[in-house]
Amino acid sequence: MRTLLALLTCLIALPALAAPRSYTLDAENSAVAFFYDFGEEEIRGNFTLEEADISIDFDAVQNSSVSVRLRVAGGHAGFPFATEAMLGPRVLDAANHPEMYFSSTSIRRTQAGASITGDLTIRNVTRPVTLDARLFRQQGAPVGGFDELVVELTGSVDRTDFGADGWREWAGDTVRLQIFATIDAE
Amino acid sequence: MPLRNTDTTFGWLSRLIHWLMAVGLIAMLVFGTVLKTMEPSFANLWMYDAHKSFGLLLFMLVLLRIIWHRLSPPPAPLSGVPLWQERAARWAHRTLYALMILVPLSGWIGSAATGISVRFFGLRLPQVVPPSAALDTAGFAAHSLLTKLLMAVILLHVLGALHRGFVSRDSSLRRITRGV
Ligand code: HEM
Repeated sequence: MRTLLALLTCLIALPALAAPRSYTLDAENSAVAFFYDFGEEEIRGNFTLEEADISIDFDAVQNSSVSVRLRVAGGHAGFPFATEAMLGPRVLDAANHPEMYFSSTSIRRTQAGASITGDLTIRNVTRPVTLDARLFRQQGAPVGGFDELVVELTGSVDRTDFGADGWREWAGDTVRLQIFATIDAE
Repeated sequence: MPLRNTDTTFGWLSRLIHWLMAVGLIAMLVFGTVLKTMEPSFANLWMYDAHKSFGLLLFMLVLLRIIWHRLSPPPAPLSGVPLWQERAARWAHRTLYALMILVPLSGWIGSAATGISVRFFGLRLPQVVPPSAALDTAGFAAHSLLTKLLMAVILLHVLGALHRGFVSRDSSLRRITRGV
């Protein structure tokens, strides 16, 4: 009887899981870290995630989607001089382009998680980028609990592709990204 | 040592400002040129703030100098040299004043336009211009060009002064050095 009941709940649960589930961002527990070369050193900067719409289809990952928006002016580039330089017209030009966007165009499953290709818009310039995604369940979450997840996105962009090409003699072209987003099921 | 200038002599304040600015400008021209060729790194970031601070100090000095010369006009140039030399000297002095204003001003505008705050010995100054790619480019292009011009005019000025002191042998050089 017990096994039958368990089987039943499984069967009921399956269709619910098979459809994509929508998630909203828990901005407090999310962060965008980025890394760039400054002379001999690697500097860590960060942005705060403003908004994210995520829908995950656990059975057919390709049906998932991610779109993210973040506010440029909330960014820090490691130390005050660099932050001001980054927000200034030579790099992100925060005054004229207050936001950055990412929107997925295709997602495929990989060994470690998923590979997300999408359009990244910086300074009003849109270029394709590919990020590696991994999903984690919150520590202590019940088995099969998918209500609160952590998404890790990693990848790198060449800032000169977006016209954010100022201070190249100071800071490297490649910006490595590491995004941790905590998301809650709707 | 009289403070004020007279019809024929420079008082100590005018002479002091003259020499402070002479040393300051030449040092800053060298400093700025070195700054441009330096390997960017954490270790020399502070030099940019130092360059801006001393540049702004020189800007204040030239304003003080102009105000002071309204209150206490400097003596007229000595005559007795060929007219072309008199004209060249007058032209050089006017250009020097224009450059002493425009050189730091262009550096300040270019710097502020990058969005990086301009500090005067640590004190954050209000933004003279908003962040702007156009003002950034124009400001530094002007700063670069005008500093080259300043180097040339200072050279002419020094050669002219030495000529007065050691060839024409009038009191032009002496009155700005020793005041008599
Ligand atoms: C009388 C005062 C000043 C003198 C004589 C001076 C001189 C110079 C010189 C010779 C250069 C190199 C230019 C080149 O070769 O392109 C330079 C660069 C520079 N100056 Fe000044 N400067 C003065 C004031 C200022 C002020 C007031 C500021 C800012 C508040 C400033 C900011 C800069 C900056 C940021 C650079 C580097 C530009 C770059 O790397 O592209 N300067 N300066």
